[in-house]
Amino acid sequence: MDLPNDSSLRNLLQTTSNNKQNPHNTLQPQQPATTPIVEPKDVQHEVKLQNVVATVSVGCELNLQDINFRTRNSEYTPSRFHGVVMRMREPRCTALIFRTGKIICTGARNETEASLGARKFARILQKLGYPVKFVDFKLQNIVATVDLRFPIRLENLNQMHGQFSSYEPELFPGLIYRMVNPRMVLLIFVNGKIVFTGAKARKDILECLDKIYPTLLSFRKN
Amino acid sequence: MSNINSRSDGSSKLCCYAHPEAPLIEDYRAGDMICSECGLVVGDRVIDVGSEWRTFSNEKSGIDPSRVGGAENPLLGGGDLSTIIGPGTGSASYDAFGAPKYQNRRTMSSSDRSLISAFKEISTMADRINLPKTIVDRANNLFKQVHDGKNLKGRSNDAKASACLYIACRQEGVPRTFKEICAVSKISKKEIGRCFKLTLKALETSVDLITTADFMSRFCANLDLPNMVQRAATYIAKKAVEMDIVPGRSPISVAAAAIYMASQAQKLSPNSINEKDASSSSNDFVTPSTSSADDNPSNSEVTGCSSTRDARSEISTNTTDSINTDLNEGL
Repeated sequence: MDLPNDSSLRNLLQTTSNNKQNPHNTLQPQQPATTPIVEPKDVQHEVKLQNVVATVSVGCELNLQDINFRTRNSEYTPSRFHGVVMRMREPRCTALIFRTGKIICTGARNETEASLGARKFARILQKLGYPVKFVDFKLQNIVATVDLRFPIRLENLNQMHGQFSSYEPELFPGLIYRMVNPRMVLLIFVNGKIVFTGAKARKDILECLDKIYPTLLSFRKN
Repeated sequence: MSNINSRSDGSSKLCCYAHPEAPLIEDYRAGDMICSECGLVVGDRVIDVGSEWRTFSNEKSGIDPSRVGGAENPLLGGGDLSTIIGPGTGSASYDAFGAPKYQNRRTMSSSDRSLISAFKEISTMADRINLPKTIVDRANNLFKQVHDGKNLKGRSNDAKASACLYIACRQEGVPRTFKEICAVSKISKKEIGRCFKLTLKALETSVDLITTADFMSRFCANLDLPNMVQRAATYIAKKAVEMDIVPGRSPISVAAAAIYMASQAQKLSPNSINEKDASSSSNDFVTPSTSSADDNPSNSEVTGCSSTRDARSEISTNTTDSINTDLNEGL
């Protein structure tokens, strides 16, 4: 092949043409810097709550149309959903308010925010004139995540714990582990990140993590 | 005969006179009871369950003289032995206007009707992707089991049938991807996936995890790739999974990427079996420097090789070299 006149380009092409090796062979493979794995005793501190869902009843019937007209931050389309959706900025959360007086408060980051948000929504309804009571406040679901910082072999976990695990890479890249004893669902990913859901209390999550941590350590990849 | 004597003795068992303790094997086809030790036929024409008439497909007569119907499907009901009045033969069955007199072919199976339609649907889907009868039978069995249960009650029959077909393929060791099942079914992948998980829970079974090797031969055959490419692709995929270059990726994606890589490597080599290259006596080999989607010929190097080198080994070693370098790069 004839080389161009530009000398630098010619040098480059000559080296590449003389170099019978693939230029990628000279590159050293780089490994990402390994972050230290989380110790079992510290891992409980690493759990971050992402979402808390709570329900409360105000104990009286509500007129949703009236609430929709008199509040600014609500939406009500009875044809689509038979509840008012009200959003709040201060603890950033969303409430579904129903005619029976039941409120579902979602989007809070922790239990106190959920309680505070639910109380604020009840207060709004009180200011509208309804005889509001704060009855049966209950946390229904807590979603949390944790990063274990070590990769996990999901295929082996699926094989060993077949009756609890469901791993279908075609459907979802994470392994769905349904734990029986605190009844919870965990989504376990290859990179060591875990999502806990279905917990009714924070201690459920910590208990679940204590139970699963040694198992996951045993399936660590290296 | 000894067997007649043994019968008149009051003992109800037939036995071979030479081996009275030997168990008798029943041959239903000819209605024989045969001694398992010496082969003596001790009871003949007990009941002959062979067919009364032999029918051939090229016979011109329209009537089938057989007086029994088809084989009973053990999956359906099993308890329904009612007789239906068949369509009339001869002119007496038609009334004055030419319409058949007895029209009311009462459906014989009210509870089994959905089962029959689902079996038909499974059979149609399997036929579209050329699945053998073993898989269809397994899918039918799974459907029967799941149909009786109550946790998949709300799901449409077609979704349950598709999920059963998917599970049957997996259980037989020849998994089909969800997309392949979607292609022959009118149910969405999401719904089939949901029904699949529910069915596994209902039947309390589990299935093996899919591997890249399961799909290689089928994908390569669909793309008309030569055997060398298929072998290279299988090797690439296996190595990629072993070296954990592709953690968390679906094995189907890895398999597809491996096939693409192998086919590109083959495409850049003129000594490969190429449609436009009639002669394979070329001495020049093109070494693919990258196996990405870069077809620009100025990037490839031309190296001279001796003609004694075996072309096949050259393709495989070149492919392996470039695989190793690219795998090192974390491709």
